Amino acid sequence: MSGRYGLYVERQTEIHRLHPLTKLVYVLACLLVGWLIPGAWSPYFVLLIGIVPVALAGGVLPQVFRNTVKTVAPFALSLFIIQGLFWTGGTVVQQLGPFSLKAEGLWFAVRGTGRILVAVSGFLFLNYTTRSDELMLALSQKGLPNSISYVVLSTIQIVPRFQQKANTILDAQRSRGLETEGSFLVRTRALLPMVLPLLLGSIVDIDERAIALEVRAFGRQGPRTSLLTLRDTAGQRGARWLMALAVVVVIGWRLWLWLAPRFAA
Amino acid sequence: MIRLSDVTYSYPRGTAPALSDLSLEIPAGQFCAVIGANGAGKTTLCATLAGFVPHFYRGDLSGDVTVAGINLPLSSPAEIAGTVGLVFSNPFNQITGARFSVREEVAFGLENMAVPVAEMESRIEEILRFVGLEGLADRSPFALSGGQQQRLAIASVLVMRPKVIVLDEPTSQLDPVGSREVFTVLRDLAAADDATVFLAEQKLEWVAAFADRVIVLHQGRLVADGLPAEILASPDLERYGLEPTRYTQAARAAQAAGLRHADAPLPVTLEQAVEFFS
Amino acid sequence: MNLIIDDVSFTYPAGAEALRGISLHISEGEAVAIVGENGAGKTTLVKHFNGLLKPTRGRVTVGDWDTRTQSVARMAARVGYVFQNPDDQIVERTVADEVAFGPRRLGQSEADVAANSAAALAMVELSEEAQTHPYDLSAPQRKLVTLASVLAMRTPIVIFDEPTMGQDARGVALIGAIIEELKREKRTVIIITHDIDFCAAHFERVVAMADGRVLIDGPAADVLTRADLLATTNVEPPQLIRLAQALGLSAAPLTIDGLIANLQGQ
Repeated sequence: MSGRYGLYVERQTEIHRLHPLTKLVYVLACLLVGWLIPGAWSPYFVLLIGIVPVALAGGVLPQVFRNTVKTVAPFALSLFIIQGLFWTGGTVVQQLGPFSLKAEGLWFAVRGTGRILVAVSGFLFLNYTTRSDELMLALSQKGLPNSISYVVLSTIQIVPRFQQKANTILDAQRSRGLETEGSFLVRTRALLPMVLPLLLGSIVDIDERAIALEVRAFGRQGPRTSLLTLRDTAGQRGARWLMALAVVVVIGWRLWLWLAPRFAA
Repeated sequence: MIRLSDVTYSYPRGTAPALSDLSLEIPAGQFCAVIGANGAGKTTLCATLAGFVPHFYRGDLSGDVTVAGINLPLSSPAEIAGTVGLVFSNPFNQITGARFSVREEVAFGLENMAVPVAEMESRIEEILRFVGLEGLADRSPFALSGGQQQRLAIASVLVMRPKVIVLDEPTSQLDPVGSREVFTVLRDLAAADDATVFLAEQKLEWVAAFADRVIVLHQGRLVADGLPAEILASPDLERYGLEPTRYTQAARAAQAAGLRHADAPLPVTLEQAVEFFS
Repeated sequence: MNLIIDDVSFTYPAGAEALRGISLHISEGEAVAIVGENGAGKTTLVKHFNGLLKPTRGRVTVGDWDTRTQSVARMAARVGYVFQNPDDQIVERTVADEVAFGPRRLGQSEADVAANSAAALAMVELSEEAQTHPYDLSAPQRKLVTLASVLAMRTPIVIFDEPTMGQDARGVALIGAIIEELKREKRTVIIITHDIDFCAAHFERVVAMADGRVLIDGPAADVLTRADLLATTNVEPPQLIRLAQALGLSAAPLTIDGLIANLQGQ
């Protein structure tokens, strides 16, 4: 949550100019297709053919790559270790002292990591190329309740302030003699007095925020207008339907693959 | 425009009523200031005029509260919004946080009221010029100073064209520059005479400068009501937990020391003080 | 215990240069007000006094302690700091425990903790609320609670950050009385304030800051008359001095008695 618009990276590419829903549907389609098509390598196929080109076109490939790897690496490592070493039964690929590395476990980890990579890189691509307020507007136009849209957007802007507040509270306690420098135990114990001011201070603020929103007619029922306008085209609308259709086809195919043997037997 | 009849209100966990037998009538276009010690009921009165007492705070309210013809206790907050605006002291808590620029932040209320986009744009330009933020329309609301944020809060409420705007100590968290910026806007508001302005304020020298009328609250009751020159020079102020401006205090001391006539009216502003002492 | 700021400069990690070569000598028992526009560096400077910030260049000594050699918690034995927002400081569930928090951290004996807490609560006139949850009090009252909690620590140096903000006349008078009491006890009192009338009433020395530097540092009766200079850092002279200047009087009265004496002299 670094920039003014959250994760959004300001660029003037065609990708950035696309309607938010187009990008959202695209990412969801990649996710589902990568999940459903059988084979351990299919998520990687989707990653290469689906995510990388659009991230490149959007001028955000370096950020997507860097932050996806940073986020997924620890998870992938534990997945490989746990599934590789503790898969019950199966073919042993390598003996490591008392532990045996299983092929099935490794393939499971490969596929699992691939799925996570698609999900994370897709999510990052979407957020780097789409302003969150435009995305929330697009979803509101399709029926997303205003309260959810408000919570998402205000969280982006208010969370960094929260961190500042936490630092100030810690400073205030240190100024009263709370020792925070030293051993891990000392530092952890120092955090306990912080919980109350952080929580109660926020609750006091929430009252005022709720009132401020009511004053601005936030609680009003009925349709709303928007200063922000979104550009959509017939082509994009058609593309979104096609992508949805493609996903339905893949779901159908997967179901058939799963059910067919039961009918054959 | 504003009428309260025998209003008595207690908060849900309150032991004593926060407001007692309050009756008040404020005509349209008047700039009325309420002063009083902390706990006297200023914030409760502001919340009542904006409909948040009793809707938001619950508790027991008796008596009539009518603002611009709307019976507030019987109306929903959504019905009241747009007719009555409320601005309070913490500028940060009044920024929605859901909009990324000053312009969009001001638009928020108009969007909720389903105002057409073309009309929205002109109203926003007009109000930003009125509060002096037109150069900052594309800035993030969080990149403004306290005084600027408070002017943004006022703009966001004024753009909805309320008949009444209530301000609860809008400058208490601001530095002198921010206070002056806000008071300048309030002075222009008073001069424009379109809306009825109700202001709760501790800084008496500012109240003296442009309120048309001053009322005093003490322990939930209305104890004084009149022109700033009378109320702010009254010897009763101390009894109500208030301290007159140093101009008034100096004038009184001069009278006590025999340097000035005991009958001369006491000054409440710098200009009046200069005249008094010359 | 003297507080010496020796050619201190400070740059934030993000790159902003907040203090440029500040030197101040604050003797034991002085009452100093720090004024100036937002962004001048007042809070940044004051955070150096208890070690929350360490200078990028130069050094700050409190008595014989260099702030760079002590943790902030240890510095709290000598420098008390009342933060601007009480809700950033309150951690306990009763007022009494809250006021005792600081003294306990400083290792005072239980007897001293009880005595100092009771005395501090009496000074802010909240003795009756000792068992109340702080959040059941109003915001101005919570401010008084944090004031009491720092007073109970009985530090030789006390720093107040905007103590009168949000207070009514009675609250302001109470805080003024507390400051006068601290001065009588020969404790060093430092305040950051925008309330220039309060400053004139209680502080003998005024330091005006602008742009990370000291603009002017001297006796209040002198500094507060320099209207043009102060205006460059968004500070207006107090009401009485403005009146005196408008009337063309020679002296600069900080109090009403001073103004009357001046008028009588004419």
